[in-house]
Order: sequence, then structure tokens, then C-alpha cells
Amino acid sequence: MTRAATLVRGGLLGAALVLLASLTFWAPPFWVSIAVQALIFAVFAMSVDLLLGYAGLPSFGHAAFYGTGALLSARLALANPGLGLLPLAGVSVAGTALLAVPFGALSLRVRGVYFLMLTLAFGQLLWSLAFQAPAEWLGGSDGLIGVARPPLDLLERVDEQLWLVAGVAPPLPAVRHFYNLTLLAAVLTFAVLSVLVRSPYGRTLAGIRENEQRMRALGCPTFRYQLTAFVVAGALAGLAGSLLTLFNGFANSSSLYWTNSGLVLIAAIVGGAGTLAGPALGAFVVLIAQEALSSYSQRWPLLLGAVFVGFVLFLPNGLLSTGRALRALAPTRPGTGRR
Amino acid sequence: MRLDVRGLTVRYGAVPALLDLTLAVPSGQRRAVIGPNGAGKTTLFNAITGDLRASAGSIALDGRDVSRLPPWRRARLGLGRSFQRSTLFPGLPVADNLALAIRLRDRRAWRFWPGGEQRLRSEVGERLAAAGLDCVSSRAAAGLSHGEQRALEIELVLATRPRLLLLDEPMAGLSGSERRAALEHLRSLPPDVTLVVVEHDLDAVFAIAEWISVLDHGVLLADGTPDAVRADRHVQEVYLGSRR
Repeated sequence: MTRAATLVRGGLLGAALVLLASLTFWAPPFWVSIAVQALIFAVFAMSVDLLLGYAGLPSFGHAAFYGTGALLSARLALANPGLGLLPLAGVSVAGTALLAVPFGALSLRVRGVYFLMLTLAFGQLLWSLAFQAPAEWLGGSDGLIGVARPPLDLLERVDEQLWLVAGVAPPLPAVRHFYNLTLLAAVLTFAVLSVLVRSPYGRTLAGIRENEQRMRALGCPTFRYQLTAFVVAGALAGLAGSLLTLFNGFANSSSLYWTNSGLVLIAAIVGGAGTLAGPALGAFVVLIAQEALSSYSQRWPLLLGAVFVGFVLFLPNGLLSTGRALRALAPTRPGTGRR
Repeated sequence: MRLDVRGLTVRYGAVPALLDLTLAVPSGQRRAVIGPNGAGKTTLFNAITGDLRASAGSIALDGRDVSRLPPWRRARLGLGRSFQRSTLFPGLPVADNLALAIRLRDRRAWRFWPGGEQRLRSEVGERLAAAGLDCVSSRAAAGLSHGEQRALEIELVLATRPRLLLLDEPMAGLSGSERRAALEHLRSLPPDVTLVVVEHDLDAVFAIAEWISVLDHGVLLADGTPDAVRADRHVQEVYLGSRR
């Protein structure tokens, strides 16, 4: 990448961060709550992109970790009222990481479209287990309701101090703290994954994506690298699920359903798989599109599907590649009649 | 590194591609394996590297039976190979292709924090220069010419410092000058590296090989010095005959 491109990219990222950090100040409460959901979905989308974009493993069962993370936090919070944020999220992260070991080890026996089908099958298996679980465990079709949001003492104190320094009355006390929490989680996820994909491990993972046979012939135990990616991706999806539960105050088996696995892949591809900012951006686009389209028509998934097909046809590398795509389009190609 | 192949049989379904093949390559030897298409040369390589499971027989490296080890473990013991069709990391820059091989050799790939790779970068630079690829170092491997891709693959394998090197048709599709460069490169390998080459270009074979094994229909037809193989009547009939 050239120096100018790095600067542009850094500038855009910084602007997005400023926009997001100040969101509670200028956005109406309804859109703040949409933004909370979009940030949670962004964590989920970045996690699936570690598999899809960096490891080249198209997992179609990633909602299993999202949903399991959501249910674990809900179950634990209901059984132990007053439990703090860290133990709740921690159990979701650890639980889904553990779940990802057998899930990944079995799915990694195959590649390509077979991997996609096998992860879909395992995901649906887990969904059906959660769906049919006794009502005393997971609340049956209602799900687990009445989960109280844990206090966010430290975050609130820092936040209040900042407003005190700024000398302005803070807006939206109710949702602001949780918004800040999800923003922090998304930024941390972005940072952790950025380091990971630039590390020797991440470079090696990309090598396995490019040519697994060559990597083995060079002496690389590829399975270990891929399974690690699967576990990290599962754990981060579990974190997203935990945040979802704590935001909504309930969780049910529907978050494990395969449509969520599809939606998160759409977000990653629309934004730009193989980058981290792309899937995060894609999560916002998908959630805002969903919000906007669903108010016009009940058939919004159809419209979202059409948007997705458009992206695959005309912008296959996602929104982040818009600049590159426009530059490639600019010179007139003689004889083709296209610009 | 010494290679011992004993009683090796590989079947594709009911058809044997290799039948009870026994072959020994002493450490440091330059060996060529020749034979008509379908003789089992690539199958032999795949069985040695573990990409293919043998139906019977054993493979030993320096006397150690590796028949049950996966390909990456055999590679770590010092076995390097090139493939008949260039096998690279097509979407990655040429320099990154080499960096992957060097990290694996140094066991520095399993690290989760970036940085600390100055030595790696300077070695990448040296190897790019040695392979004549320094002016295309930032280009994706997929964008290289055929000859450059072959050169990169050989350099990838050499970067792991193999002690037994299997090259599958390294000269295929190269131009005259590329051929000479590749030949020179192979001649300049350290003398303790064992080299086994499958090659159809007989001029190259006779220029490199100290010993030649001739395969036909999965069995060893002849095995000896270049002069002895050239004089062998069976070999002349099935293979060299077409050249007379």
C-alpha cells in the first residue's frame, strides 16, 4: 500500500471513530439503539471474517456461537442476579471458545463448499438442541426473559468525569452507557484482530488460505492454525451474543438460527471480506437497511438479498473497494463500449 | 539426507501406479528419475512426501521410517519439493511468499504479535536477488511469468534449507536462457543436499544426474550411472529409442 493510501485509510478510520464516539451526543435515542445493535453485529461480522476473509474458511454456522453466547449469559444472569458484566461476558466467551474446538475440528475435515455445508449442519444441530431444550433450562419458545443489565460502574464513572470536564449536560443517560460499552467492545475486537492478522500467525493463516498444500509441503501444521482461528472467531461471536442478551434483556434459540449465519456473511461480504473495517461497516449497512426496508415491506429479506446480489456482481470486494473499483472503471476501454 | 524406498506399492483403485518399488538414494547424490508419461514418477514423489498414502511398502529418511508421518512432519525433517505445476501463494506478494517459508523453517510462524522480523526481511531480500526476482518483489505471485513462477517455487523450497530436494519437472515450459539459469542454480546447490529430479529434458538430466533411475509402468526398468542407462537395451526400447 502506498503512503497516501495509508493516510487516507487512517483518516477515514479516525473520522469513523470520532463519529461513533460522539454519537450519543447528536443522534436521536432510536438511532442510538440501532447503533448499539449494529456495533454488536459488527463484532459478530469481524469474527466471521477472520474465518471467511483471512483463513478462507466460509463458515455458514457462525450464528451457533452468537446464539450460544447469548443463551449462556442469559442463563447465568438469571441464575445469579447481581453478577457483573465481566463474569457474564467471560463465561460466554470461554463457553463458545470451548464449543468451537469440536465444532471446528470436525468441520475442518473438509474444505470449500463442503465446509460450508458441514458448518451449516452443525449450526442447525445446535439450534435444534437449543430450540427443543426443556423450558426450565432455556425457557422454551419464549426464551429467557427478564435479564437485568449489569451495572457498568467504571464506564459510568469515566463517562461522568468526561462530561464534567466538558461542562455540558450528558444526553441519554439510559442507553448511553451501554452504547459506550458496545463501542468499547467493537474497538477492542478490531484492535485484537488487527494485531492477530498482522502477526506471523496471521500471515501464516493467509498463506494457508492461498495454498494449503504448499504450506504443508513447507512444514506447516495447517490444522492447528485453522482450528485456532475457528476458536478465536467463535469466542468473539460469543462476546457479541453476550452483549446482545444484556442489551435486549432476553435471549432465545432463534439467534442460533441459520439466517443469522447468512446475514453476518452478507455483512462481511458487502463491507469487504479480508479486511476488518469492511465487515464492521457492512454490519451497519445491513442493520440500517434492515431497519429501513422492513418499514416498507414485510418482504425485506428479498430486498436485502437483491442488494447482496448487486454487490457480488458489481462490487465483489465490498464497500471498502469502492475507490479502487471507480479508478478501474475510469479509463475508456476501446472496443468494449464500456467506460 | 538418505532416502530409502522399500517395496512401495501405490494403487489408484485396482490399477497399480507403483508396484513393489525399491530405490535407495545415498546422501548428497544427484539422482534423476525418468520414464514415459504414466510411469509413476509423480506418484513416487507424492508417496515420498506423504501427499499420497501408499498401499504397501515404506519410506525412510536417514534410516527413519516416515511412512506414517503427515506431509508437514516429513517436510520438517528436511524434505522439500516442487510440484509439476507451480504451487505458490498466488494472491500474496512475491516477498511475502518467501517470508512464509522462512518463518516456517525458523519455527517463528506460531507467534501472535507482529514485529521483530528485520532479519527475516533481509533474508527475503537476499533470496529475491539470488532468484533474480528482486524487481518483482511486491507483485502478486499470480502475476509473474511462468519462468519467474518456477524460479520462485524453487527458491521457496530452498528457503526451508531442505536436505532432500524433490523437483518435479523443474525445466518444463522454460525458455532456453531460463533453462540455463535453472540448471546453473541446481548445480550450485550445497553438496550435502540430496537431489531427486523428475525431468523429461534429457539434456538437463544428463547434465545434472550422477545416477539415473528409469521407471516404466510403476516398476524400475533400469538403475545406474548415466552411461550404463544410456547403454541399456530395455531403456533404449521404451524410452530413449525415440531419440535415435
